[in-house]
Amino acid sequence: MTHLDTELKRLKDEILEMFNLVCSQLEKGKESLLTLDKSLAREVNFNEKRVNALELKIDKDCENIFALFNPLAIDLRFVLAVLKINSNLERIGDIADGIARYVAETETIFDKELLQVTELEKMYNMAIEMMKDAQQAFDQENTKLARGVFKKDDMLDDINGKANSVLASFIQKHPEKTMQALHIVSTIRKLERTGDQAKNIVEETIFYIEAKVLKHLSTAAKQE
Amino acid sequence: MQKLETKNVQLHYGEFHALKGITMSFEPNTVTALIGPSGCGKSTYLRLFNRMNDLIPNVKIKGEVLLDGKDIYKKSAGMRIDELRKKVGMVFQKPNPFPKTIFENVAYGLRVNGINHAGFVEERVETSLRQAALWDEVKDKLKKSAFELSGGQQQRLCIARALAIEPSIILMDEPASALDPISTAKIEELIYELKTKYTIIIVTHNMQQAGRVSDKTAFFYLGELVEFDATPVIFTNPTHSQTQDYVTGRFG
Repeated sequence: MTHLDTELKRLKDEILEMFNLVCSQLEKGKESLLTLDKSLAREVNFNEKRVNALELKIDKDCENIFALFNPLAIDLRFVLAVLKINSNLERIGDIADGIARYVAETETIFDKELLQVTELEKMYNMAIEMMKDAQQAFDQENTKLARGVFKKDDMLDDINGKANSVLASFIQKHPEKTMQALHIVSTIRKLERTGDQAKNIVEETIFYIEAKVLKHLSTAAKQE
Repeated sequence: MQKLETKNVQLHYGEFHALKGITMSFEPNTVTALIGPSGCGKSTYLRLFNRMNDLIPNVKIKGEVLLDGKDIYKKSAGMRIDELRKKVGMVFQKPNPFPKTIFENVAYGLRVNGINHAGFVEERVETSLRQAALWDEVKDKLKKSAFELSGGQQQRLCIARALAIEPSIILMDEPASALDPISTAKIEELIYELKTKYTIIIVTHNMQQAGRVSDKTAFFYLGELVEFDATPVIFTNPTHSQTQDYVTGRFG
């Protein structure tokens, strides 16, 4: 292995560590939300510092690799992709932190009917699945798996699209649960953004492996 | 203890003030790159450590040059020049193999130091050639002339020759500047591997090379040490504007 190969492997290991950390944050956030586990929520809030610290380290390592090694071709695309994926993961970390923050501060467990009609748990599971697919696709350089993430994001968008009307009906029936409903809609928006970030991650993965730019293309065009 | 140090070294070539108060230290098992425009004093500074400047007429040196804490320019260090040059090997810009066989090029330093036991010499030659990443390419033609090797191979032979006498320090004065890109890459990988055993100082005009191989980088300008820091710092956020101008190619 050349010196550059050693540095690139180290960078890959770091970004996979970031993936693991952020996925763990999402899973703990979901668990804490559904069971109102405040201790777990506070753990997510505490770990947010680790996410931020790791983001800064990875940014610095990318900067050093650019400065010291002038990577080219696939190596250049790899470091560029890692730089952007790092930023995407940090934002997902913020989302998990935000969801957990609400749990840490509230006293009301979510109404079961509300959770069911909004399909929140299904949406959360889908978001976590997309993140795991994105991680595996990056790690194994699997662009087929990466492309599968785009369709899953459409499902998230679908649930998000229906949320307003679903919640409006719920609030009409249960006006005393309006605050809960508003928090649910906020969580749904956060999960929708998580899906977008996962999509961005796989776009960068495909860019680094195939040198194709998929940004701003339709889902159908991205599958080609 | 630092492996090598200079303290306020001043060097004049006659009236010309070539090195102006250079104070630097080199940790063991590190690679330090010396960069700067032509004529700034990099090679002059490098040659302090094996006293090659002594060969230049009218040279005056003040200050301290310490190897393992002892000043190599003082008799009190108890080190003759030939002993110094056993500890401090050097590789030059242009490969300079001797007009001998590949084997004898590497064995030469041992023989000059009175080591002639055949088995020992053979073992040391093989070890040195392996360390220089050349053994596999020459093991079946050790009796051939060194001049039959390519430029990159000749340079690695010169590195093996330097390693044979088991120095602790290797000085390299633009070791790859006369080589093609593939040979250059091989030399750079070699430097990266050698630092686990040796302390290496390399003069280079190639800043990307300095970035790739070195742990620390020193920027020289007009005989002065402008900045000396970890290589990532020099190439991402140097303190001095002169250093920044040089590494970004705005002058020099």
